[in-house]
Order: sequence, then C-alpha cells, then structure tokens
Amino acid sequence: MSIGRDGITGLILLAVSLFLLVKSFQLPSLPIVPVGPGFYPAIVLSLMAAASALLVLQDLLKRRTPAGASDAPRRNYRLVVIAFAIVGAYVALLPFLGFRIATVLFVGALQAALDRPRTVRQWVVLATIALGTAVMSYFIFERYLLVLLPRGAWTGF
Amino acid sequence: MLDLLWNGLVNIAQWKYLLPLFAGTLIGVIGGSLPGVTITMTVIVVLPFTYGLDPLAGLAAMTGVYVGGSTGGLIACCLLGIPGSPSSIATTFDGFPMARNGEPGRAIWLGVWASVWGGLLGALFLVFLTGPLAAIALEFGPWEYFSLFVLAMAMVAGLSESSLLKGLISTAIGLLITVVGHDPIGSVPRFTFGSAFIGGGFPFLPVLIGIFAFAQIMTDLEKLNSPRGEALQSPAGVRLERFSHLKVNLEIFKQPFLLAWSTIVGLIIGILPAIGGSASSVMAYDQAKKFSKTPNRFGKGHPEGIIASEASNNANVSGSLMTIMAFGIPGDAVTAVMLGAMTIHGIQSGPLFISQNPDIAYGIYAAYILAHPCMLLICLALMPLMLRVTSVRMAVLAPVVLVLCVVGAYALNNTMQSVYVLLLFGVVGYMLVKLGFPLAPLILGLILGDQIEINLVRAIMTDANPWLFLTRPISCLLLLAAASSVGLAIWQHWRHQTRMAGEEPDF
Repeated sequence: MSIGRDGITGLILLAVSLFLLVKSFQLPSLPIVPVGPGFYPAIVLSLMAAASALLVLQDLLKRRTPAGASDAPRRNYRLVVIAFAIVGAYVALLPFLGFRIATVLFVGALQAALDRPRTVRQWVVLATIALGTAVMSYFIFERYLLVLLPRGAWTGF
Repeated sequence: MLDLLWNGLVNIAQWKYLLPLFAGTLIGVIGGSLPGVTITMTVIVVLPFTYGLDPLAGLAAMTGVYVGGSTGGLIACCLLGIPGSPSSIATTFDGFPMARNGEPGRAIWLGVWASVWGGLLGALFLVFLTGPLAAIALEFGPWEYFSLFVLAMAMVAGLSESSLLKGLISTAIGLLITVVGHDPIGSVPRFTFGSAFIGGGFPFLPVLIGIFAFAQIMTDLEKLNSPRGEALQSPAGVRLERFSHLKVNLEIFKQPFLLAWSTIVGLIIGILPAIGGSASSVMAYDQAKKFSKTPNRFGKGHPEGIIASEASNNANVSGSLMTIMAFGIPGDAVTAVMLGAMTIHGIQSGPLFISQNPDIAYGIYAAYILAHPCMLLICLALMPLMLRVTSVRMAVLAPVVLVLCVVGAYALNNTMQSVYVLLLFGVVGYMLVKLGFPLAPLILGLILGDQIEINLVRAIMTDANPWLFLTRPISCLLLLAAASSVGLAIWQHWRHQTRMAGEEPDF
C-alpha cells in the first residue's frame, strides 16, 4: 500500500482543516447570538476534514499500475515557473517603478521569455507591444476611466 | 412589462450604453475566437474598464462579452477543429468536417445565425420567466435560501469531472476563503492570525481573477513546447466560399423543433448553477442526434449538429442571466464576475433586484437582446479580421491579459493589497488545477459563502429548531434534491469504476 499525489494532498488538507477547526473552537462566543462566530467555520472545516480523510483513504486503496510511457503531451513547467517569477517581480516592483515603467518591462520580459525574438524585426515588434500596452492602458484607465494607477516610489512616474 | 422592456431598449440605444455594449460584444467575439481564451477570461479582462462606467453601461459591456464570446468560439471550431471557447465544443464535431468538405462559410454562418436565433428565443424566456422565478424566490425564508445554496453547491460538486471528493473539497476551500476576516454577525476576527493583510478578509474579485486567469494562462503556457509551437495552423489564409444568408436561414428554420429544443436545453442548463455552456452545447448536440432522422450523418459535417450546439450555447447565456437576476446565484463563472461588478456598484442581486432596480434589470434584458444584432453586424463586417485573430500568439496574449488582471485587481480600491491577493490566489488556482481539483465548485463556494452563513445564522436566530430545515416543504425538497445530486454522482462514479474494472485490458 503506497501513498500517491492525492493522498499527500489529502493529508495536507486534513492537517490544515484540523488545525483551523481547533482555532474555530477557540473563537469567543457572543451573548446575543445563539451560535458563535466559530459555528459555521467549524461545519465547513469538518466537511473539509472528512472529505480530505476520504481522499487519503481512496488514494491508499487505489490500484496502482506501474508507470510506463505516457501518451500525454509534454508539459513545459519551466516556462510556467519563469512566468510566475516574472509576474512576481512585476508585482513586487510595481510600487517602486510605477505602472508605466514596470508594465513596459513586464510585457517585454514575459514576451521574450515565452517566445524569444531572433531577428531585429521581432525585437522591434516586442518593444512596440510592450510600450503600446503600457501607454494604451495608462491613457484608457487614467484619462478616460479615471482610475489612478500606481506611481513609483523610486521614479515618481 | 412590455413598456419596461421598451424603455430598456430605448435606454440602451443611447450612445453611452450602446458603445460599451458594442465594444463588449466585439471583444467577446475576438476573445471567444481565440483558442485557449475562455469567455470568463475575456470578461475578467473587460472588468477593469467597467469600474469607471455607469453600472448599466458596465453590465451592458459584460453582457456583450458573454453573447459575443458564446458565438466567437465557433470560428476556431470550424476552421481549426479546436473550440475557441469551451461552450462551443460540440460545434467542432460537425463544423470542422463541414469546413474541410469545402464549406467553411456555410459552417460558420450556420453557427452564427443559429446563435442569433437561439439567443433571441432565449431572450423571450429571460424577459417573461425571470419575474415569476423571482416571485417564487420572494417566498423563501432563510431556511429555503440556505437549502437552495446547498443544492447549488451539491450539484456543482457532484458534476465535477475528476471526483466527487475533490469537488467537495474544492467547495469547502471556496467557503473557507469567505470565512477569513471579520464574521458577518458580530465582526469577530477569524483566522487572521493578527495579520493586517488578511484582517479584512480576501476581496472576492481579485481572488476570482487570480484563480481563473492564472490557472488558465499558466496551463496554456505549459503547452508551449517549441518556441513557436502554439501556432497550430493559421486560418488567416482561408477564404470563405460564396453562399446565401437566406439559404442558411431557411436551412435553420426548416427545422423549428431542433432550434426550439436546443434553445430550451441551453436555457435549462443555464438556469442550473455553474454547469456552463460546454455542457449545454454537448447535451443539445446529443439530443439533436437522438431526435434526428439522419443520426448517421452527425460528425461528418451535418448542419443539425452546428445548429443544435450554437443555438443552445447562446440560450445558455439567457438561462445564466435568469438565475443571477432571480436568485442572486451565478449560473457560471461569467455571471459570477458580473455579480462581483454589481456589488462594486452597490447593486444587490436576488429576488428584489428586478423590483428595486427595474431600469438596470430591463436594461440588462435590452442589452442581451441588442447584443445579438451587434454580434451579427460584427461578424458580417469583420469576418476576415476574425480569421486573422485566431492566429494571435500566446506569447503576445498572455502578458497583455496579465497586465489587465493586475489593473483589474488594483483599481478595485487603489491598493496593492488586492494585487498581492491576486498573485497569491493565482498560485493557489494553478496548483489546484494541477492537483486535479475543479475550480467551478470553489468559485461557487466563494460567491455563496457569506450568504450561506448569514442565512444559516438568521434561521437559527429566528427559531433554534434545526428540524425546520426538513419540515418546511420547499427547504426539505431542496435538501432532498441536494442529497439526490450527491447520491447520483456517487452512483455514476461507482458504475464507471465497475465498468472500467470489467473491461479487458486493451493491448
């Protein structure tokens, strides 16, 4: 009997729900309300704990076949990690560089990471899209829709 | 009622509403026609543009996206053989073979016209049935509301493709997200662990955008194996053959039963919470095949298959709008975003929505009706452009969509906190998808969480007797339906497992 991905996920979710369930019992009760603030979360967490435990059980009882050659298409997880890292950097730098500069850099960097330009023409297209996205969204949101976009603490722009 | 509808139509015909409606429909058609871009993602992209608009103008734009997106998906279906949006999946079965048989124009325009007629027939139901449904909902007390929400979640969790357990866990995660922050009755902080970041709870829209947009985009990025591998086949060079629109319409109206039945199937699936357009399109296709005199022609470019699928997925939109307007429950993720947009503008959807906001309610009806001629006009004028749009690369699309997601989250209350929430739930959404958890139950839990808690506590405060949930007839019926839905899902899963076990391994 071996544990698979679903089993591990179920165990993590079970631990989280049990931890929060204990926390929900520690919430103070209110004098005027017959049920305290922990009543509803406790129901939800009990449901989640029970379902997670069943998921672990289901995974343990599952008949496993030896891993063989899969027909599933190859997945490019490296690209996903890079994309998340670029989005993370964009969100982190947004308050410091401001919307306009950060957006130009973000759109340019992500495009280059997803489909690296090889010719000068492709680099120009990339830069135009990056600049165009920042300028268009700035004008539409700030000038037309009156949404104030983030200014940069370092750039003041 | 007809007076109000007429006023709604006249109101929407003003430029300040017509322009957002037209723009929304155009973006919807484009978004729908891009493989890998769902209608939900398109409506999320449009969302930040609606913050600065009048509530009705914003909702008109979103309705346009919904209608346009439901139709736009068929272009990629017919030309590439892959659905532009999931709701047009069944159109692929006959649209692509018909296009390959040398009739791409006939395939596309049969779909477009069937969408128009199916959508407009659906509008009749939307206009005349939403009021009576809301009147029924007005009779509901907190017990019935609680049971109705439980039914909605049980149905969605039960319909999860992967497993019922994962559907239930996904629902619980959605409900749990709403619990974080201050409780709605006594304002006691829950699960905040002294953090100011989550002290006020998680704002609904950044969570929704993060979960949906990131899960979708990142899953698409995984498939970019080769540097320019995503361009499967460019339909930009395809030329549509000459054909007559009158002939296409006659072909549709020669089978009034098919059109009407597909519309009704789409409508019913739309009314049921969070099942979505793809199920309606496949079910209508299946029904059309069962009732057809020539079922053996299905899958080989049969017009009936295209008509059924497209009429149904546009009627599905009217069903979803009915549910949101009568009960305040989103029919699917697109209406969930619309519900969020309504909340931003201080509009409460639910049974009192039509009587308290008749201008907006009839404005939405009118926008839904007018979105169809707008969509038709866009398709007539811009079809060559649409053929080019389907070949836009993901490398260009993904950064632009992500920027709009960030703006959408930031512009909610002009704080970076919402953007951090967006990123956090983007990671959570992607991980859940990779672990095989369906997102629809999570979203429904997220939307209904507060309402479930409020109605549960309200019911207990009114009368502490818990048996009232079972002794009040409507509440009991709804809870029985919820239990049956879960029971049916377990039975179907068990039957599937038994069949799989009984099958000989295929070497």
